[in-house]
Amino acid sequence: MNLLQLENVHKKFGDFTAVSDISFAIEKGSIYGLLGPNGAGKTTTLRMIMDIIAPDTGSITFSGNRHIRDFLNQIGYLPEERGLYRKMKVRDVILFIAELKGLRKQQALGEIERWLKKMQLSEWENKRIDELSKGMAQKIQFITTVIHKPELIILDEPFSGLDPINMTLLKDLMLELRDSGSTIIFSTHVMEQVEKLCDRICLIHQGEVLIEDELRAVKRAFGKDSVEIEYVGSLDPIRNSVWIQGINDFGQYAEVKLRTSEDYRLLLQELVEKGVDVTRFELVEPTLHEIFVQSVEAQGGAVQNAE
Amino acid sequence: MPNKIVAVIKREYMTRVKSKGFIVSLFLMPTLMCGVVLFSSFLAIMEDKTKEMRKLAVIDETREIFDQMQAAVAGHPTFQHKGELVYQLSEVLDATEEAKTGLRERVNARDIYAYLEIPKNVFANGEVRFYARTATNFDIQRALRRIISDIVRNKRFAESGYSQNEVSQLMRSVKFNAYAIKSSSGKEGGTQVESAIQTGARLGLGYLLVFVLYMFVIIYANSIMRSVLEEKTTRIVEVIVSSIKPHQLLLGKLIGVCSVCLTMFAIWVIFGVLLVMNIEPLLSIFGIDSLPTQFIQIIETIKVSSTEVLTYFFIYFLIGFFMYSTLYAVVGAICGSEEEAQQTGAPLTLLVVFPFILMFQLFRVPDSTLSVLLSHVPFFSPILMFMRVNVLMPPLWEILLNILLMCATILLVTLIGGKIYRVGILMYGKRPTLRQLWQWTRY
Repeated sequence: MNLLQLENVHKKFGDFTAVSDISFAIEKGSIYGLLGPNGAGKTTTLRMIMDIIAPDTGSITFSGNRHIRDFLNQIGYLPEERGLYRKMKVRDVILFIAELKGLRKQQALGEIERWLKKMQLSEWENKRIDELSKGMAQKIQFITTVIHKPELIILDEPFSGLDPINMTLLKDLMLELRDSGSTIIFSTHVMEQVEKLCDRICLIHQGEVLIEDELRAVKRAFGKDSVEIEYVGSLDPIRNSVWIQGINDFGQYAEVKLRTSEDYRLLLQELVEKGVDVTRFELVEPTLHEIFVQSVEAQGGAVQNAE
Repeated sequence: MPNKIVAVIKREYMTRVKSKGFIVSLFLMPTLMCGVVLFSSFLAIMEDKTKEMRKLAVIDETREIFDQMQAAVAGHPTFQHKGELVYQLSEVLDATEEAKTGLRERVNARDIYAYLEIPKNVFANGEVRFYARTATNFDIQRALRRIISDIVRNKRFAESGYSQNEVSQLMRSVKFNAYAIKSSSGKEGGTQVESAIQTGARLGLGYLLVFVLYMFVIIYANSIMRSVLEEKTTRIVEVIVSSIKPHQLLLGKLIGVCSVCLTMFAIWVIFGVLLVMNIEPLLSIFGIDSLPTQFIQIIETIKVSSTEVLTYFFIYFLIGFFMYSTLYAVVGAICGSEEEAQQTGAPLTLLVVFPFILMFQLFRVPDSTLSVLLSHVPFFSPILMFMRVNVLMPPLWEILLNILLMCATILLVTLIGGKIYRVGILMYGKRPTLRQLWQWTRY
């Protein structure tokens, strides 16, 4: 069953087309990745889902209902750039947002206690936000997003600015929330982050959908046409091999893009023949970044801002 | 009212009321006001009084005036400090230009305070000249003018054959006092006469309230602007508008902050009423049993007129608050930083400051066409109309019309402003142009 469905959604700001004809559906209990470079229209799309801005044409439905306003209490939202009322106490800030999401005070206080404990921030309950470290403030903000047990959790660039520990923590939390029945949609421009997290992805570029499918299907469609090689010495002997389309050499490790996925045996053979000291040779799936670059190029566009 | 707006109101209210700023201004504002009043009356008494001896040189070409003048100065309070004469007069007999130049240099070098030239023809129509380092010592000038005029007049009268005694009898001024006529409350067409002290007390209260209105609108409208800006720059506004509509957020903010002001007023009014009601027992604690009649009159006037004045105050405060605060909230929404907002908000400040400055002139002519017209300019009304109500009550239909006009303005401002606010809080980067703002109202 689809929890959220967008159909032919279109949004213009003046003469600028932010989102053009976007359609996708998110299944209940899944994690959905909205990927694309900065300025692709991700934030606009998310804001339209929450009815912060209205689409010009097209429809957005939540559980089959077009009036999302009525379901805002069942949606949690983490905006791209983070901030909280700096002069307020941790508990008061969370309580305020929980009340905005329709929680009663007593109910909210219980949840706040539970979440602060889970995040190991219990002793910070009565401290002011500006006394917290950046990482702690990020955790608090995540609590405000999920405190009301939303059915749909919308995270705009949730991983940006997180240190590795918090990144892992967030990833685990997202999986935990999904397993407990929540549906998550998140946007990111750093595509490596999502490879293992998403059930389904949507690649958008300049407001238009390039690819929208299950992650596995996307990868399969692009085939295994890349190899990772670890070596000692030099790769120079095979640098001009006819089987290679592109090479990204890191000195003792290289990512090689093949002309076709069938060519890996021939490349391996050539490596052995030319006497390159190979310690590892692995056929791998293309990264999402590569898929993205290829898709954009296939449409005749140039990739800007893609990181 | 939806619970979510209540949550916004509660937050805006509690964060402000719990802040140190609220407690401080609760006590500081009345203290400061009393302080300013006391200090200015203290200055008035202090004016141009000095402990040190000041020398005053006099070139008396008539050779008749100096002696009488010296005697008169010695007995005049303006030239005394705590009962002691602090001005020393000396006669300069040399009336040449060189002597005058010398005197000028001595004034400039602060050797003497000032010098005076009394020409020969002073009895006819000659000009007495007073030279000092500043020409703003009006008290001294006024006293000297009166003393010399008296001497000159006496001489003229004496020449016409009147004695000193006759002159002072004949020259007595008339007593003159102003009384304001007010239509009396209750009976139709009846009038009531107000004494100068009553008018003073009533106007004093009115001015105080206009001042409070002006201060609070400026201070708290700015506070709203900063709060909108804080929510925008921290992006928390995105979380809020994903729960409630932007106009609900704005409404909650306005009501919350307005309640803060009303709380402070309520505390002051309650305190003031208690003070006025119990003024006699309070003063008797300090051993003051009988009050001067003037003081009693002032207290009585305040007791009688304060209900009406305060009612109008609350009406005009509420209207002014919502009118200006909405505008300031919009400024906060379209700007990206505090500095930018201060700049953009500056023209708005004029909307409040301008009528406040005008008020000091217009209260002299409360029923002139200009006063009436300006008081109906919506953004000037809260201050100018409240001034008119205090000075000379306009007809009821005019007040009602004005209130209606202002309510319509508020409606218009919130409709247009609300739309700009809605778009502005989610827009980052360059401040929009007026054209863009117009487009935003139609998104």
